[in-house]
Amino acid sequence: MKPRENLRISWRAIRGHKLRSTLTTLGVIIGIAAVITFVTLGASLQADIVGQVGGEAASDIFVWAGPEGQDQGPGFGAEPVFTTDDANRIAGFEDVAAAIPYTITRSDRLTFGGDSVARGEAVRATTPAYLTGEQFRAGSNFALGSNEAVLTPNAASMFERNVSVGDRIGVVRGDETIQLSVVGILNTSDSLSAFEGFQGTPRIYTAPEAVGETQFLYLIVAASAPTAVESVKESVETYLQDESPASDSLPGDYVFKLQTSDELLDQIREILNLLTGFVTGIALISLIVGSIGIANIMLVSVTERTREIGIMKAVGAQRRDILTLFLTEAVILGVIGAIVGAVLGAVAGFAGTQFIGFDAYVFPLEWALIAAAVGILVGIVAGLYPAWNAAKTDPIDALRYE
Amino acid sequence: MDQVSAPDAVALHDVRKTYQVGEPVHALDGISLSIPRGSYTAVMGPSGSGKSTLMNLVGCLDTPTEGTIDVDGEEVTSMTDRERTRIRGDEVGFVFQTFNLMPRLTALENVALPLVFKGVDRAERTERATDVLERVGLGDRLDHRPNELSGGQRQRVAIARALVSDPALVLADEPTGNLDSETGEQIMELFADIHADGNTILMVTHERHIAEHAERIVHMLDGEIERVEELGTVGVAAEDAE
Repeated sequence: MKPRENLRISWRAIRGHKLRSTLTTLGVIIGIAAVITFVTLGASLQADIVGQVGGEAASDIFVWAGPEGQDQGPGFGAEPVFTTDDANRIAGFEDVAAAIPYTITRSDRLTFGGDSVARGEAVRATTPAYLTGEQFRAGSNFALGSNEAVLTPNAASMFERNVSVGDRIGVVRGDETIQLSVVGILNTSDSLSAFEGFQGTPRIYTAPEAVGETQFLYLIVAASAPTAVESVKESVETYLQDESPASDSLPGDYVFKLQTSDELLDQIREILNLLTGFVTGIALISLIVGSIGIANIMLVSVTERTREIGIMKAVGAQRRDILTLFLTEAVILGVIGAIVGAVLGAVAGFAGTQFIGFDAYVFPLEWALIAAAVGILVGIVAGLYPAWNAAKTDPIDALRYE
Repeated sequence: MDQVSAPDAVALHDVRKTYQVGEPVHALDGISLSIPRGSYTAVMGPSGSGKSTLMNLVGCLDTPTEGTIDVDGEEVTSMTDRERTRIRGDEVGFVFQTFNLMPRLTALENVALPLVFKGVDRAERTERATDVLERVGLGDRLDHRPNELSGGQRQRVAIARALVSDPALVLADEPTGNLDSETGEQIMELFADIHADGNTILMVTHERHIAEHAERIVHMLDGEIERVEELGTVGVAAEDAE
């Protein structure tokens, strides 16, 4: 029998049972669509986060002191061990463009006009260099050693009245209230470094002197070029361990942690891949269920068409012809399911990224190809036993079958 | 083809078929029979006489327990399943009591089906199938499906399908069993026509008036040939078992 005839006859059998074929294919469609959707969402989420973290920070090194052995992301468990002196010394190293101290200043409340809000970690003490290159909606950067402050837009709007440049806000800590004068408002509330997490909480940047900070939780060291990152990382680590007073004030099981943007990205990718893999695994189960559906319907189909099989055998169809016919039918169902499922999954993935609000939409093309391959495979695996059953049907019994 | 030396369409030599159901049942008990080319033979007998088993063996659907069967000069008993299927497709045309047409295929496609499995290309298939359908008087029903045809027309399609691969032997199993007597008579006329065209026919029936259309009647009883009754003018060779 010629392959074209084979396809024609199988296709006709599928069309002969439209509703049944559709329902059968639905299992595979849902399975593949689910896999593609989750993989798309995973890849888009990854691209979104990597886009936020990567970009300009490619040559940054994030430094903090954290509990040994624990690997829970930048800044985890950090203790304030660094001083401005550390930052100044590191800034003088070879290939270092900047070394910026950064810490979170505890506060009880923040006041503006007559309004007062409870905010514990909004105030960040750092150097103006931290905001270098950022876009300002209004005003400009604060000056070192002053009591000037720069607000993120969501910090400027957290009081009853919007804060604008020239206003004064109060930082309440115990009995003491520190007055900061607002000199600038940033363009975005997004996080500016790995130490600020992925969500941009309201932040007020000011100089360490204004809020009396001398010890810092974090250091951000910028290498002069991405290629210099590794050597800078080494020299900073050596300095911290051997020369810096920070090593003396390190709590018992604490170590210095230095993480480059690359390492950070790898860590994020690893976590996301794990997550995507997990969800995809669940989606794969529905694909298995779908293939069982095909096997089931093919078995029913073989029983139902016993007589037709007998006729075909009586007029000269070989075992192989019958086997091929039924296998082709199963594969067609699988492939249609895969194609429709892949398209549906791509659309659902796109809709998902739009709904969640990712900046990126990444369609994993290789997964679409895998889906098509899986469709064929599912068809073959699910169709093999029923087709084999059909092929070994005894024509004498089959012709007598009513 | 019609030389004197041409082999018999079918020759059975001391064929036995034993089924093992609890104790052995001898469905066929030493049958020797030859069906010459161009002959028209009817097989009669009560149910259980072994005529269906005989049909299955001659049609290469089954293999005997003992003895040999030649189809168109080729010994089929020792063949593999694959080769037997090929012989069945090439040399045997089946006509069944219940027609056994593919329900989703048109008359033309049903008739062309045996050619599909032989790998004949589409244009030639259509041409040959149209040809035979015209011969059986269904030239105007090519695109009708079985459920759009009358019983007589369906049997004509089945006969056309049996003839399309130009077989050595047409095997008909109670071909008028599901038809009213008038339609049955028309079908028997068609068989007479195709016999006149030189086809070899072996027909199983339990109706005497149907069997009388043949040149000879082989009477079977309890798995053996009881007697062979010559009706026609053409001499045929038939050896009894013993």
